Order: sequence, then C-alpha cells, then structure tokens
Amino acid sequence: MRIIVIGGTGLAEQVADALHGAGDEVTVIDTEPGRESALAKAGLRAVHGDALVPSTLEAAGALRADVLVACTQSDEDNLVISLLAKKRFNVPRVVARVNDPANDELFNHSWGVDALVSPATALVSMIRQES
Amino acid sequence: MQVVITGCGRTGRALVTRLDAEGDKVTVIELDDTVKRGLPAGFRGRFVLGNGINPRVLEAAGIAHAEAFVALTPNDSANIVSARAARDIYRVPHVLARLHDPAHAPVYTEFGIATVGSVQTTVNRVIQLLHHRMLEPHQTFGNGETLLVRSRVPAYLAGRRVAEFNVPGEIGVVELSRAGHSKIPEPSTPLEDGDVLSFIVAATSLGRLRSFLGGKWS
Repeated sequence: MRIIVIGGTGLAEQVADALHGAGDEVTVIDTEPGRESALAKAGLRAVHGDALVPSTLEAAGALRADVLVACTQSDEDNLVISLLAKKRFNVPRVVARVNDPANDELFNHSWGVDALVSPATALVSMIRQES
Repeated sequence: MQVVITGCGRTGRALVTRLDAEGDKVTVIELDDTVKRGLPAGFRGRFVLGNGINPRVLEAAGIAHAEAFVALTPNDSANIVSARAARDIYRVPHVLARLHDPAHAPVYTEFGIATVGSVQTTVNRVIQLLHHRMLEPHQTFGNGETLLVRSRVPAYLAGRRVAEFNVPGEIGVVELSRAGHSKIPEPSTPLEDGDVLSFIVAATSLGRLRSFLGGKWS
C-alpha cells in the first residue's frame, strides 16, 4: 500500500518505520528540515514541508495514496490535514492521532477521519482492563 | 450583535474593546486565564476559559445563539477548526478567521472560510505606499488583493479606447466620469482629455496600470 505519514520524530517515525518494515511504500512529511537523509537511510521517502499546504501533500503523492496518517502533535493540524486529504485528494483511508482525549469527539467523518488513534485513551482503557 | 471571539491577544483585545464600546455582546474564549486582566475596564461581555476547538467550550460561550464568530488565535489550524464548526454545525451567520501564514490561504479557501490576513494585508499596503502612492485606492477588497482605483486620463491618451486598458484577470475599466456625468463605458468608447476612469485592478498589477497611465497624470 502507498501510505503517507505526517509528523516528526516519535510516534510518526515509529509508525512509518513499522509500516515500511511490513512492506508498504511509505512517504513521511515533516516540517523539520534536514531529516530527509536519516529517513532515506531507513528506506523511507521524505518530503520536507507543511502538510497544511496542499502542494506539499501533492508532492508526497496524496493523489495516489491508499492511506494517510495525520500523526502530528497538534490536534488542530491533524484535523485540518485529515479533511484536506479526504476532501481535496480523496484519500480512501485517513487515520488521525488524537493528542488530547478532550478532542476525541472531533475526530470523525465530518473532519474526514476514518479511524482515530488516541494513545492516552488506549493506554487508559488497557489499564482499566488489566485491573 | 452577539459575537464570540476565540483568541484574545493584541488583535483580540483591541477588537473586544471596540465591539464592547459599540454595545455588542461579546464572549471571549481563551486558553490563558491571565488575559482576562487585559480586558477593558467595565467590560460587559463574558469570558470563557478553554480551547475554542472544543464543542463544549463553544457551546458554553453561547455559539448556538451568536450572530458572529471571529477566530483570532495565533494558530491557523485552530482558527480553521473552530470557524468551520461555527459555520457548519452552529450555523453562525457571520464567520471570520485570522490567517497568519499566507501559504495556508488555499486551505481556508478550500473550506470556504472568510479570512483576515495580517501578513498579506500589510504586504499589499506597504507595496502600495512604496511603489504606487499616486494610485491611492478608493476601495480595497478581501485582504487588499483587489483594489478600486480612480484616475484622470492623461491628455496624450485621448482617442484611445476603453478596451485598451482592459487586461483580463488584472485590470478592468468599470466606470467613466465625463463632464460631471458617470457611466459604465463600452469597450469601444473612445477616451477624451479630462475623463476620469475607475479601474478594478489586482494589487499585483498596479505597476502595469501605472505604466499605462504613464505617471504623467494627476
């Protein structure tokens, strides 16, 4: 699958790595310059830029992507990127990260989000199940 | 008018002060509790602490009954998220959002959100004042991208036709005043010495219009 992952080091990078390891064609968009070579070494295609600018998403191949993962540390950015991906680029599957559980309810189809990943909520529900 | 504003920095505070003085019912949404102190003395509106992208915060601010919503936070994405909710979910009649990074303008356009862009407005105004002082606009549209400019036709252009000034997408002649009478001219109308023309012109084409007019006009 062709997958675009948006976000910097941390969760976004780990997601990109894992997907690439599983055989997917992964492109990472990050606002931080100079990460291209490190990402290329890991076998990832990198686009340096702001994913809120449609031309950046296009350069990353949004028109042909099967999946887009909005994984930045800003919920607002993730929502806007998700809607842009869905509305403008018709990306079939949009997955977004929720940083603040208070924003969980916003991450739905009205913002182009097909599935949400909420690390905090996942962790809490796991803790509840264990105890 | 009932107005909800998110973001109360310099611009927000100035706007709130003005609206409050004009008798509007203003509710301010802010993440930072300390900005409350910066509100004008005797402020009659309300202050809601929270993030304006959160539906419950918007509802606590009375968004459902607001006549206007203005997103003025320093974050373009936050402004887009709350402005879109105000317009599409709460059906607020007048919604405006501040645009900081001009590169984000296409996103606002894509989602149909009217913007107030400080960077673009400032750049257009500075260029206007530096390069095109003689073409003082009667009216500017949007964030200064399009202007309405009036100018007397210089004598040496008498006999030229209106159509010669029209450049699609850049410059259009929209009105002609001659001997105290105004009309909307035909493209074939010949110009006379003393005519005053109204042009609609793109800010980026002011230089072109100025060169048409040769700088020899008053």
